[in-house]
This record gives sequence, structure tokens and C-alpha cells, in this order.
Amino acid sequence: MKIRTDIIWKIGLLLLLSWVIVGAWVWEPPMGGVSTPEIYRIFYFHVPMALVTFLAYGLAMIQGIAYLKRRDLEFDLRSSTAAVLGTIFCVLAAVSGSVFARFAWGSFWNWDPRETSILMLLLIYLAYFSLRAAVVDPERKARLSATYSILGFIAAVFTIFVWPRITPGLHPGAPGSSGGKVIVMSARTLMVFVPSLVAFTSLFGWIYSLSLRVNRFVEED
Amino acid sequence: MTTYVPMFVSLFIWIALWLYILSLDRKVRKLSRNV
Repeated sequence: MKIRTDIIWKIGLLLLLSWVIVGAWVWEPPMGGVSTPEIYRIFYFHVPMALVTFLAYGLAMIQGIAYLKRRDLEFDLRSSTAAVLGTIFCVLAAVSGSVFARFAWGSFWNWDPRETSILMLLLIYLAYFSLRAAVVDPERKARLSATYSILGFIAAVFTIFVWPRITPGLHPGAPGSSGGKVIVMSARTLMVFVPSLVAFTSLFGWIYSLSLRVNRFVEED
Repeated sequence: MTTYVPMFVSLFIWIALWLYILSLDRKVRKLSRNV
């Protein structure tokens, strides 16, 4: 019974993300009233990737706090695995964002506050991995990483939600700029966008559980 | 043409990735059963 439920949700994920891919190409674009609405179709992928980045870094922090409370290295493994996956999704969000920037603003990189903030976030988490690589003692590594993951997540909240919303820029949602229109999605576009959020979050959950099991084998060896 | 070709390429990549993750999942499951 357990195996059957397991395969059912995996097939569900296959169908859901397949619908998102088809919908992203043939359904209406998420932004109306602009000269090139077609380029906004990338938002069906870009926004869920950014959301998963945030969730993964949040999970890394929660597991980090759990380690500090219980001093069990299993929580350190969970925290670092979430941070690795968060960084992979962060790179994907940055790449999809710069593809959008190329066609919307004329260049892959414009030093827009949103682009700068995602670069800062990536650098913060690259420093996290450098820290982990530099410390040999597992207990000390776990303690330092857990503390860093809390600070990293506070930085993630600031760089994703605060800074780009108070600084004028090109990105949709930024204040006081011609390009900073807020995307108001219709019910039809939500039929692609909401499944996309669910599908990317489920995909993250699946890869996370798989990575965790692989990392446990590596740790045991 | 500019819609359907990239759509089918994206679908192909996603299905290939799904099959790859599924095969990895099965391998890891088998390994954990043997340990």
C-alpha cells in the first residue's frame, strides 16, 4: 500500500509539471498590458524556483536550530542537504531571471537590486559551504554551520523580500520605476502558476529526501 | 512552430529528468534494504 501511494504521487508530479510546461507555452502569458507579454511566460518557472530557494534555506535554518537544541548530527546532515538544494534552485532562479532580463531590459545582467540581492544570497551560501569545508571536527562544523544557517536565512529574508521592494529597480514589484509593474494574474494564469508552485515544491521534497538518504550512506562510509 | 518545438523539448527534458530521479530513488531504496 505504501509503495502504491509512493508511485501515485510521483506520477502525479510527472503529470502536474508536464501540465505546467504545456500551460507555460500555450496558455495566456501571466502579464497583460505590456508590449512583449510573451517574455513573461518564464515567470511560471522563475518564481517557483525562487520560492523553493526560500523554503530550502528556511528548512536549513529549522534543522540548524534543531541541531543546536539536540546536538544530533542527523540534523546537521538535514540542514546542509537543504542548503545545497537551496543553492541549486537559487542558481536556477538567477539564470532564468537573467534570461528574462536579456529580453526585457536588453542585457543578461543589469545590476538591478533584485539581481544584486540574488548574487549576494549566492555568495552568502557559498561562504557557508567554504566554512563547512574548512572545519574538520564534525561537532564544531555542525555548530558553526547551524549558527550560520540562521544568519543566512535572515539575510535571505532581507535580500528576497525587503531590499528589492524598497529600492527602485527594473524588476516587477520594485517601487518607482517604469519597469516595476506588479504582476496581477488572472484566474486562467493561476491555473498554471499554482500547479507550478505545488510541482516545484514537491520536486524539491522528493530530491531532498533522496539526497538525504544518499548523504546518510556517504556519512556511514 | 516557435511554440510547439520548445514545448516538446522542455517536456522531453522533464520526462528524462523524472525517469532519472525515479531510477536513482529505486537504486537507493534497494541499497538501504541490503544494508
